[in-house]
Formats: sequence, structure tokens, C-alpha cells
Amino acid sequence: MKRKSFLFLTIAVILVLSAVAIPASAKETAAPSQPAVAAQDAQTLEIYITGLTEDTQNWFRDTIFPAFEADHPGVKLEILTGGWGTFDTDVAGWITTGEGPDIVYLGSEYAATYGKLLADMDSYLADWEDLSNFLPAALETATYDGHLRGLPLLMSPRPIFYRTDLAANPDAPLPTTFAESLAFVQENTVVGDNGVEQQGFMDIGGGLFDAQEFIGYIWSAGGELYNEDGTSAFDSPATAEALQFMYDRRRAVLPTEDTPGLPPIEGTPLASGKVVSGIFPMWNVPPTSDPIWENVAIGPYPAGENGQQLIQVFIDWLSVPEYVENKELAGEFLKFIGSKDNAIELSKVAGFTPVRTDAWDDIRANDPVWDQLLGLAQEYGRSFSDIRASAELRPLITEQVTLFLTDQQSLEDTQANLKEAYDSILEANGYLE
Amino acid sequence: MANQYRLDNILWALGTVAFIAITSILIGGIAKFLVKLRGFSETEQRKAFWGALFAGPWISGFFIFVAGPTLVSLYYSFTDYKLGEPIKWIGLDNYRVLLSGNGTYGERFKGAMFNSFYYGAIGVPLQIMTSLGMAMLLNREVKGIRIFRTIFYLPVILAGGPAVLLAWRYMFATNGGFVNVSLQRFADSFFLFDYMYRLLIYVVESLNGFYIGMAVQGDPIGPLKYTFPALLGLLLIGPLAFGEWNDGKRSRAFRTIEILGLVLVGILISRGLVSNPINPVWTYAFSLAAVGIMVLNAREQKWGIVRACQIVALTLLAISFVMTLKAADFDPSAGSKYLIALLIAAVPLLVPFFGEWSARTFKMMLIAAVVLGLIIFVLLIPGQLDGGRLGLIVKYMTLQSAIKHPQDQTYLEDVFPFDTISTLWFYGLILAVAALAGLLHERYPQQRKLFLYGAFAFFALLAISSFIDTRHFFQDFADIAKANGKPNYHFARFHQFTDEFPENRRVPFWLTNDLWSKPSLILITMWSSGAGMLIFLAALKGVPRVLYEAAEVDGANGMQKFFKITLPMISPALFYNIVIGVIASLQTFEMVFIIRTPETEKSLMSAAFFLYQRTFQQLEIGQGSAASWILVVIIVALTAMQFRFSKWVHYEA
Repeated sequence: MKRKSFLFLTIAVILVLSAVAIPASAKETAAPSQPAVAAQDAQTLEIYITGLTEDTQNWFRDTIFPAFEADHPGVKLEILTGGWGTFDTDVAGWITTGEGPDIVYLGSEYAATYGKLLADMDSYLADWEDLSNFLPAALETATYDGHLRGLPLLMSPRPIFYRTDLAANPDAPLPTTFAESLAFVQENTVVGDNGVEQQGFMDIGGGLFDAQEFIGYIWSAGGELYNEDGTSAFDSPATAEALQFMYDRRRAVLPTEDTPGLPPIEGTPLASGKVVSGIFPMWNVPPTSDPIWENVAIGPYPAGENGQQLIQVFIDWLSVPEYVENKELAGEFLKFIGSKDNAIELSKVAGFTPVRTDAWDDIRANDPVWDQLLGLAQEYGRSFSDIRASAELRPLITEQVTLFLTDQQSLEDTQANLKEAYDSILEANGYLE
Repeated sequence: MANQYRLDNILWALGTVAFIAITSILIGGIAKFLVKLRGFSETEQRKAFWGALFAGPWISGFFIFVAGPTLVSLYYSFTDYKLGEPIKWIGLDNYRVLLSGNGTYGERFKGAMFNSFYYGAIGVPLQIMTSLGMAMLLNREVKGIRIFRTIFYLPVILAGGPAVLLAWRYMFATNGGFVNVSLQRFADSFFLFDYMYRLLIYVVESLNGFYIGMAVQGDPIGPLKYTFPALLGLLLIGPLAFGEWNDGKRSRAFRTIEILGLVLVGILISRGLVSNPINPVWTYAFSLAAVGIMVLNAREQKWGIVRACQIVALTLLAISFVMTLKAADFDPSAGSKYLIALLIAAVPLLVPFFGEWSARTFKMMLIAAVVLGLIIFVLLIPGQLDGGRLGLIVKYMTLQSAIKHPQDQTYLEDVFPFDTISTLWFYGLILAVAALAGLLHERYPQQRKLFLYGAFAFFALLAISSFIDTRHFFQDFADIAKANGKPNYHFARFHQFTDEFPENRRVPFWLTNDLWSKPSLILITMWSSGAGMLIFLAALKGVPRVLYEAAEVDGANGMQKFFKITLPMISPALFYNIVIGVIASLQTFEMVFIIRTPETEKSLMSAAFFLYQRTFQQLEIGQGSAASWILVVIIVALTAMQFRFSKWVHYEA
């Protein structure tokens, strides 16, 4: 009897406790698609930042957040951080559950991947007068289906760097065409008994093939990724020209597939003394105050027969997922972080370039390397955007182009396979009627 | 504001505790009710209640976090679900795409599965050998042995870490990496070492070049397709044909049929059932496999398995029948060729429904299978038996296979592979030979022996002649390419690296080349064999010393002691390590994620990486779920097979 009473009492206590707890959770169960922000406090903004340094994260916490909170009483900002390694799983989880940060940091090509799942921010941002100061290519990156999905934050132009002091002919003009570029690489590559000793060109991954660079060369050969009807244009002469150029360049560095490449490089490739030219992100080159820059020339990608030179511009941007309830507040924060003063401060802390052209004056006046880089970006820049079904395209390009570059597939078969597979991907993703 | 957060957290915590408590009490109540229903006493009911109540938190957690998501993923696997878009029911389409091996993702999944099996088939034995070797070294009473054990175990803790894997990337650098520099110095020290080193490079590159061409790249590989089934036939029929016939041989015939039967069923399910309409050849091979398994299980008096096999086989044929009809829009005339094949294949399986299980029944089944198979051959596959195929068999049988191919690359790429015989026939043939041998051996021992000799000779001739033909096949590709002045894309990797014996400055290309990427990954896995080593070490400690002493008295040498005492005594540990190793190899993910480069992504991609890429990077939840369920089924089937064929494991120790 005593035991039963005890049990009864226990259940009663638990039920009472549950009754107390239910109101807190009931808000969520009533509207499952509402964001976490609604569950805790309608005036809380969670911001997810990926791949930025500890200093940058601290700048957000200690400088930007208190300033925004002071301007918006009752609003609380929180930072969530993560790496690119877990980025896909994190974002997929938030979108599946409809619960996650209010603002998500995205890389350049993600507008096409997540575009449908991001909020249309036109009504909050389109009338903002400062928008005209943003680099058009950057705004293009944050646009999906004709509508802004967030705001560009930082940019990273990706030109080709040349070590003129290592070049066989230091006074020669920089290559401007595929043919000249190929001749430059051949002239400046040294292959010894143990393999490559000096590399005429190195790409961003060091493997003499990069999917993003391949797209860049299609553009600089005068081609596009898509035909007017939306189908893929991998069967175009420009694609063939880009592929052939990349193949010939690989052979200029590695005469055969069984030629060992360069030994591992300590530090940055540009300062190694073993790489004469290459494409590197700004975080993988010596600081612009380093004397080495006196012997470094910067140029755009070479062009094909019917194309024009260009520089790929990669934009990191802040997006607002569709599930966010208080989009207006998210928009307010985007305007705040995107203001001229904050853009300049952020670029100093993060080591990237602001996407506002009116924020460049100071940088250009004080740093000749950045001055040259930004001048080239303005003249030749093309943003890495409108890459449809990018998550599926990258492995496809990697697979097919690698087969061609390593003599395992003909040029014709590579183009045909790329075209066929990408068309079916575009169709499956609703890009083709 | 902060107070509000604290209150929310407290309420959430209390709510969670209350939920767990209530569900635990409910689970306890259900357990008590079930025990009461079965008529147990009040005391037993109380015991059940409290037992289930305390297990309640785990049970409710299991249903919410394991069983629930598992069932949901099963549902998703039958849907076209891309994150952010409506879920659309598509039935078996995801499975069909992945298992058929066609299209971009079918091919990629096939490649990923081949890679995973490579890790299992080559990596697991090497890892077992390494861990056993390490355990035997550490099973000695040496000063400081505990320090050695710690050192050998350390990689288990470090191996999966990204920092260590990145360190391996540096060590495996082609030019100037620690591994290659060390190997080069070793080779330079003595001319014989240099030769061994280059031989190692040659062997690894040849095997992997061939593997890439055969399994992953899907190139036409002509006669090699049936060199291997022929070699397998030799290996399996050989031990049956020579020496005395005994129970061991009967058992081997039984195992051969069972394994090959399962392989054929697996192939049929993966390739046949999911691709409509089903080729009559597949149907017949499947029927033959089922009959073989039934006959030999009947000889073992395992009537349950015989009946189960009969019912499963007939059910699969019935499903195939309906699917074929559906593919033909329920117009029997449109799919008649396939429907008749299915009906004929079902006949031998239906025979045991009439009358008693007897030797006569099974003979009838075999005869029906053979006769009806011939009917399928002659009537239902017109054009496939005329001239070409039968003529080819005769050529191979008479060693006339060194045919001169036309000097035309299109012919070699497109026409010749279709002239070759489906390897499936040879698997079916091996199966039929073993089944007939098992059946004949009691009543007609002499005929059985002659029959096996004949079969052995057939497979031997086939293996030799097809190998000779393969050389011509490849040489013709090289000649044509040379004449055209173009690269030879056919079986390219194999040619690029095996045209000549490696020069003396050649180095392995470890992580930068698809010929070396899989061996590199296996090497890194072997480095962390400490977990298996620990299990072996514990098992070795349990082997009684007295057994070795007795063997020494009888004059046994080291090898004899190892194979006759050590290995049987530690067989449970060996079995455990194999099972766990195979499962882990099929789930390989982190290493692929970290060490892959654009050049090696395809050659390293495992099944687990494929499903990660499809699900989390490309947001195709439906196809990702289907891939994960296929992986689950394969892992369960392989584990079940390992348990089924685990008579070599002795638990007496």
C-alpha cells in the first residue's frame, strides 16, 4: 500500500512539473516551422559564422554585437561558429528542422544550392541607398532567382601572381592568351631526375586542376556554362579550348603522368622560390608588406581565341534562411554590418577585402598591392555566381576533367559526358522544362 | 533577459525529466501488463514493472533517436526528397538508379561500392595480419613490454585525427616525402633491394591499373571478363576432381554452390530485379542457383532451408513477373520473351510441390533446369547462339583463341565485348558442375570423376586461351593508337604505368594518383591496427602453455605450432576481428574525407562518403537514404554469411 502511494505521489509530482514545463514548449509545437529565435525570444538574433579567424569572431562579439544591441534595445545577438568541414551537415540539419540561426554565412557558390531555402530580402534591402556602393558582382553572388537573399560581406579576388625574379625572361610582358600562358609555363618549368624542381604554374590546390578555375577558363575562352535554353554548354568550342589549355599546361609541368611533382612546400608557394606563377587566395600569400612583392606581378586569367581576360571574384556573404520569422530584424543587422565603417573595420580584422567600393579608398591609398589587385578586380572581375546545382556540378567536373587530364579519356568523350550528366542534373533540379 | 533564459532552460530540463519519467512508467506498465497476460505471479509482474521502468529511459531514447529516424529514412528512401522541396513517392526508383549502375549516380555508387569492397577484401586481411603479427611480438616477456604495447596502441587514438592524416599527406608526398625518401635509400643500399622496390611498384600499379579499368572505369575489357571466372572454376573444381572423394570434398561442393548461389542471387537482385525487363539469361542463372542450393541442402537434410529457398526464389520470380508485365504496360505479348523465360525458370522450382522430398524429385529438378535452360538458350535468345557464341566456345576449347582482331578501334571497343560470353554463364556452369558432382558421387563414382576431370580441363583451357587472347586484345589497342598518333584511352591506367618495368628513380605516387590512393589509405589503416592487436593479445594470453609443450615433445616446428595450435585457439578473436574489420571497412569515411584530392576523389570514394555527399552536400535525402539502406543490407548480409560459414571457429578454448 505504502509503495503504491509512493508511486502515486511520484506520478502526481511529475505531472505537475510537466504541466509547468509544457507552456514553454507549447509555443514551438504550435508552430513547428518557427525558428529557434521564436522559442526563446522574438528579439534574439543568432548569427552563424564559418571559417573566420578567432580575432574576427571576437570582433563580432565584442565590438559589433554591443553596438547593434545599443542601437536596438531589447535585441540580443548571439554568435554560432563552425568550420567548412561540418558546414553542409549543419545547414542541412537547420533547414530540415526549420530551426537554426537567423543569419548564415555562405560561400560564393551557395546561392544556387540553398537559394530556394533562403528568404527574399528585397523588401528589406532593395531600397537601401548604400546598396549602390556594393560591387555589382558581389550583389550578383547574393542573388537567387532575381531576388537578394542576403548581403555580401567580404570578397577575395583570385588573380594569377607571377614571380618576375624567378622567370626565365623577367622583362617579358605577362601572358594574356592561352598560347602565351602555355609558353610561359613551359619556359619556366624545370624537371630534374627526381621530378619537378621548379613549377611554371601552380593552381590553388596544387594538383594542376581546380573545378572553379576550369569554369574561369571557359568564361575567359568566351564561353558560358549555359545555353540560352538553360541546357549546359559543355559541348561548346570554348569548353574544348579551356580543357585543351589545361591539359597542355599540365603536360608542360608534368611531361608524363609518372613524373613526380614538387616536393612539399613549407610556407606559402609564392615565397618558396620553386613556383614561378600561380593562383592563390590572399591568405596563402606573404603579407603585402613583405619585400617579396617588389618582384611579384599580378595579372588576370589568360584569354582564349574569342574570349577576354578575367579575374574570378569569390564573395562570402550573409544569408537569411526562409524559416526565420523576424526577417526585418535580420535585414537591419545586415545593413548594420554592411555599413561603410563596419565594412572597413571587418576587412582589417578578417584580412579580406570589403565588397563596398567606397570602402576601398583607404586600402588603395596605403597598400600598393591591394591597389593593384582591386584595380584589376574592378576591370576584370567576374563573380563566381549563378552556378546551378553547384554541389552536384563540382564532383562531376572533378571526375570527368581528371580523366581527361590524366590521359584516361578523350576530349570529345569528356565534353559529351559533362554535357549529358549536367543536363540530367539540371533537369532533375528543375532548371530545365 | 538573462533570467528569462535561465527559466527557459530550467523548464526545458524539468520537462525532459518529466517526459522520461512518464514514458518509463508507461513502459513499466506495459511490461507488467504483458507479464500478467501470460499468467505470471504478482511478484513476477512487479519485477517486470521495475525492470522495464529502469530500462525505460534507454528504451524511449532508442525509439526516439534510433528506431524513429531509421524508419523515417526507410520511408525517405522510397521518395524523391530534395531538401526544401515537396516529398514525392517514387517507389523503388532510387534503388533502381543506384543498383543498376547506370547514369551518373548509378555509376558513382557502383564505383564507391567497388572501392569499399576493395578496402574490405585487401585492407582487412592486411590489417588482421599486421595486428596478429604485432600481438605475437608483444606476447613475449621482454623488459619494458608495457611501454611497447602503449606505443603500438597509440596510433588507434591518433589515426582518425585530421592532424595525423594531414601529417600522412606530408609523409606520403611523392617528391621528398618521408616514405618515398626512406624507400629510395633502402633501394639504393643494395641492388637486389632496388629490384624488389621496383617490383613492388610494378605489382601495385599493375593490379590497381587493372582494377580501375575493370571495376571502376567500366571499360570494355574483353576476354579478361571470362579469364577470371575460368580461373575461379579451376580453383573450385580442381580440389573436387583430384584425390580421394570424402566428406570434406562433399562439403566443399556444398559450400561452393551455396556461395556462388548467393552471389548469383545478389547479382540478380541488384541488376536483374531492378532493371526491367529482366534478361532471360539472368532469370535462368537465378533458377539454376536456387535449384543447386536446394539440392545440396536436401542432401544435408536441411529441409527448412530447402523450403525457404524454394519459396524465396519463387517469390522473387513472381515479383519479377509482375514488374516485367508492368514495364510492358500489362501487355503480355510485348514482354513475352521475358515472361516465358520467367515461367520456364519457375518450373524446376515448382517440381518439389508435387510428391515427397526424394532423390528422384531433385534429379527431376536438375534435369528440368538443364533442359529448360537449353530451351531458353535456343528459343528465347535468337541470334545469341548462332555462329558467334557457340563458335567462340569451340575456339577457346581448342586453343584457337588467338584470333587476329580487325585493326579498328571501334570494333574492339564496341563489337568485340558483345561477342564475348557473359561471365554469368560460367558462374552458372561452375555451380552446375559442383551440383552434379555432389549428386553423382554415391551412385556413379567413376562418372563423377570423369565429369570433374572434363570440367577441370574445360576451365583450364578457357583460362589459358582467354589470357592469350587478352594480350592480343590489348596489343591491338596499343597498335591502333600508335598508328593514329593518339593516346590509347582504353584501359589507360594499366597501359600508362605497366608498359615498361619501372626505372630505378621511379617512386610510388601515394596520395596523388588513383593507382596508389587505395593502397595508401589501407596503409594508414594498418598503422592503426592496435585495436585488433589488443584483442589478439588477450586471446594469445589464453592459449594454454601446455599445448605448446606437448607439441614440442612431439617435435613440432614453429610453423606447425602456429597453424595447428595458435590459430585454432585464437579463432574466436580472429573471427571477431574479421567481422568488425569488414563492417568498419564498408563504413570507411573520415580518411576519404580528409586525404582525397581532385585526382583521387573518385578512386577513394567509399559507399559511406557517397551517401554523405548525396545527402548532406547535394541535399538529395531520398537517394542518400536509399544508399544507406543498401549499405545496411550488404553489411548485414556479409555479417550473416560470415556467421553462416564460421565452422572454423573453435570456442572450446
